[in-house]
Amino acid sequence: MFWKSTYNEFIKIAAKPRSYIGIAAITLIVGIILFAMRLDGMMYISFITAPFEQSLSFEGNILNGNLMAFIILQMLIIHIPLLIAFVTGDLISGEGAMGTIRLLLTKPISRTSILLSKYLAGCAYTLVVLLWMGFMAIFIGKLLFGTGDLMVLKSDGLIILQESDISWRFLYGFVVAYLALVMIATLSLTLSCFSENSIGPIVSTMGIIILFTIIGTLDVPMFDHIRPYLFTTHMAAWRSFFEDPLPIEQITQSIVVLLVHIVSLLGIAIYKFNKKDILS
Amino acid sequence: MKNKVYIIIFFVLISFANSLFSQTKSAKQILNAVYSKMMVAKDYSVQANIKVDLPFVKMLPIDAKIYFKQKDKFKVESKSIAIVPRQGFDQITKMLNDTSGFDALISGEELIAGSQATIINVIPQSDTSDLILGKLWIDVKKNVVLKSQLTTKSNGTILTEYTYGSQLSYGLPDMMTFTVDVKKFKIPKGVTADINNTKTSVDDKKKDNKKGKIFIKLTNYQINKGIPDTVFKK
Repeated sequence: MFWKSTYNEFIKIAAKPRSYIGIAAITLIVGIILFAMRLDGMMYISFITAPFEQSLSFEGNILNGNLMAFIILQMLIIHIPLLIAFVTGDLISGEGAMGTIRLLLTKPISRTSILLSKYLAGCAYTLVVLLWMGFMAIFIGKLLFGTGDLMVLKSDGLIILQESDISWRFLYGFVVAYLALVMIATLSLTLSCFSENSIGPIVSTMGIIILFTIIGTLDVPMFDHIRPYLFTTHMAAWRSFFEDPLPIEQITQSIVVLLVHIVSLLGIAIYKFNKKDILS
Repeated sequence: MKNKVYIIIFFVLISFANSLFSQTKSAKQILNAVYSKMMVAKDYSVQANIKVDLPFVKMLPIDAKIYFKQKDKFKVESKSIAIVPRQGFDQITKMLNDTSGFDALISGEELIAGSQATIINVIPQSDTSDLILGKLWIDVKKNVVLKSQLTTKSNGTILTEYTYGSQLSYGLPDMMTFTVDVKKFKIPKGVTADINNTKTSVDDKKKDNKKGKIFIKLTNYQINKGIPDTVFKK
């Protein structure tokens, strides 16, 4: 019954036009990035390598598919959560707004199971979006720009990884990025349990992400103590797989922080959904 | 008595000017000998193993193939991303090509890796020359450059050390070590989306302008086999 309910929830997500906005947006954004890089990519690269350019010269295919995938990932991984929240923030409150939640709860299945099946369907949707982004970034990127070593762009230096050493990093990076997006899905689902309309949880999730991202990006010493506790800081943990040597401790810490967030928020969501008065 | 003093001063000045002239000539003779040895290899290709030790760059050593054709055609071919100095391979031949374009002066001697080196300063005569100052440590017996320090307007200062082996007769090194100045590297986090980099500005201050090194090991020289110009087209 639980899996059937999960399947039904996924079908519901697939039937909503808004679910395709994220995929369409990714397609458009990645298309624009690839087009722009094809035209002016070397300008972007020269901006990065400028501090070395006076005395050193970079040879080889720098502007390749691996770099494209990395650039696209780092640009989109901040914005994709907003597209995920657009769908997962609507899972409970959307039913409330449409008045279908009362009917849903008459099913011979516990409220917890209903919530978890919605959650699993949301996670499956998140996976589809991430896989689509991966396909666009890696496969289309490599198709247009070829392959080669990856120049990892960091704010305080460059790491050049050899082509044979990249695939596993992308794989693990995607797994951690998925965990981060699942965390966002959990947050928006939890907020959704507190609301009777769709807009509230979606906008709240976006607001939290934007606020935390700004705090995380600002180089102000007073935020140094707060930053490690923000989930947005750990959402970028996928980048750590492109470090050399691999910061295992930092990656583990980020995974733990994200898992703690997921479990805590899911616990709150289950509690709230079980206690929720269904008035519509 | 007064006339005698004038005569002595005159001869002292003449001998000083003469010694100065002969020293300049001698420096140019040394450079000409080095240049002649360099010109024996009209073209060459060589396998290079490039190891980079720069303050803001992490990368493993990579293999590349270097092509060179007199007097200034130079290309690095690599499947990997390679970082090489902008000057070093062709800069000396370009500099020594026109002996009338610079003044050369012997400024001393130094022992480099067991070899006695004569230090020659090269000063361009033209104000518009890219070269500001060249300093060459030359093994006069073998007619090879052991060390060079070239300061140019376009590429800054690069110190290069040369180690010779199998291709000494062509004046081609087996190992080159470049020391370069690297400016402080800082890109806005917005560009790199490096938001989980929580290093404080105190960490950054430790990374001001620094020196970096590039080690290039050269093996399997193919000399004077003929390299078509199309190889050097990008």
